[in-house]
Amino acid sequence: MGSRRLFLTTALGAIGAVLAFAAGWPVWRYLSPMEEPGEEERIALDREDVPLGVAHFFRFRGQPAVVLQSSPGVYYAFSAICTHLGCIVQWLPEQREFLCPCHAGRFSPDGRVLSGPPPRPLDSLPVTVVDNRLLIG
Amino acid sequence: MPKRIVDWLDLRLGIRDILEQNLTKYLLPRNINIWYTLGAVLLTLFALQFATGILLLIYYQPSPQEAFSSVQRIMNEIPYGWLLRNLHAVGSNLIVAVLLLHMLSALFMGSYKRPRELTWVSGFLLLNLSLGLCLTGYLLPWSQLSFWATTIATDAAGAIPLLGADLVGFLRGGTAVGEDTLGRFFALHVMGFPLLFGLLVAFHLFCVRRTGVSKPPFGPDYTPPKEHDRFHHEHHPGGIPFFPHYMAKEAGVISFFLALLVAITFFAPGLFIPPTANIPADPFVTPPGIKPEWYFLWAYQVLKIFPSELMGLAVQVVAMTLLALLPFIDRSPERRPARRPLFVALFICGIAIFVGLSIWGYFS
Ligand code: HEM
Ligand code: FES
Repeated sequence: MGSRRLFLTTALGAIGAVLAFAAGWPVWRYLSPMEEPGEEERIALDREDVPLGVAHFFRFRGQPAVVLQSSPGVYYAFSAICTHLGCIVQWLPEQREFLCPCHAGRFSPDGRVLSGPPPRPLDSLPVTVVDNRLLIG
Repeated sequence: MPKRIVDWLDLRLGIRDILEQNLTKYLLPRNINIWYTLGAVLLTLFALQFATGILLLIYYQPSPQEAFSSVQRIMNEIPYGWLLRNLHAVGSNLIVAVLLLHMLSALFMGSYKRPRELTWVSGFLLLNLSLGLCLTGYLLPWSQLSFWATTIATDAAGAIPLLGADLVGFLRGGTAVGEDTLGRFFALHVMGFPLLFGLLVAFHLFCVRRTGVSKPPFGPDYTPPKEHDRFHHEHHPGGIPFFPHYMAKEAGVISFFLALLVAITFFAPGLFIPPTANIPADPFVTPPGIKPEWYFLWAYQVLKIFPSELMGLAVQVVAMTLLALLPFIDRSPERRPARRPLFVALFICGIAIFVGLSIWGYFS
């Protein structure tokens, strides 16, 4: 290959790569998920919202979560996403357990797997009680 | 009058020649069979999807607040909205069924073999693109069914090591299915995929026309065509003309499928629209018994039977890759099923596994 041809091919290739990047990068950024309300986000709930034996569902870092008062003053919070294939668990007040409607995974009030296909406990979230408020996250 | 129009056009563009080459003087093998009409059936059904789809777009609103109610409005208030929507929904299911039949016939008759590898590969891409159209279209009504079926389907990508979580986020445009998922699925469903689809169909048809229709590998006078080491169009001297003979047969089969489409639309519109499709999406409540559409049940079941999702996903990828590259793996020129016992056995096993997994997935 003549050196002039080599030079031109290289120059064209380089220009092509620059242009492809200039076009590709904005498209990539445009399509990428936007920053969610931060990994740092914390949520405060009123204690009245979570009476004894009741599960309260809320949105946390973009995803469904649940907080439960299992015995007086004892709170548990979890991601409400089943650890099997990602359905949202429901709280059964009578049975005092979480049930996943997809493949009947069952979880105890503290998140342990009771039966069914889920491979691990519900992902728990830290809860702190501050006066009349619950801080989650 | 038609003659005068043709004369007028012929004088300027020489269309008589083109028409003759492609219709009356375009000869097909004498023993051509009904399976060769399925491509024309697909073209018709896709044309109908485009037409009903464009009409639905007039009233459909792609936002989480309005999507569900706009579809209810199309169904219940706009005159004949129910007809267009049901035709579009039932049509998509029928298309997948015909696509599978079309593919099975190409497999059974060995028409994917040299020199038709590119026809096969482009067809396989079309099948995947069609499934992509089904998947993206399913989310648009923003019902409980849409929302959760999409959640489960996109979740599967999470099983890929390292990239999984990012990939799921990229597909959804966020951590969970939401407004941004609807936006990207809508864009793909109504513009991105159809455009690609049109280009690929054009290429697929170009391949078919350029190589020539394969001779069905049946009957006593079938002789395997010679291998050529330069381009060769497969002619069928003494064959039957495409027009009017074969087109009449195609029109018959197309009418059959249109009748089936209309019959399901009128008498069993709920066949593909389960009750959860009539409840607006609620990200906090997963309804019981969410199942993907019938043609994804096999994949859904594969994910469930393997101990890890990653293994299930890997099995699917391997199966699809083998199918895509089949012409490059199975390279013997023999096309007669009676002389390919191993292939026919695998073919039947493959169908049985697909059907078995689907039924299992449906009832599990
Ligand atoms: C999206 C829709 C598709 C359309 C509109 C379409 C259309 C057509 C048409 C019109 C023909 C010629 C007539 C015939 O043999 O039926 C054809 C042939 C063919 N198609 Fe498709 N096709 C589609 C998808 C597929 C798929 C999914 C495959 C396989 C993976 C495939 C593989 C083939 C092959 C191998 C032939 C050649 C048949 C022969 O000459 O013996 N096509 N297609
Ligand atoms: S997704 Fe919860 S049990 Fe399968």
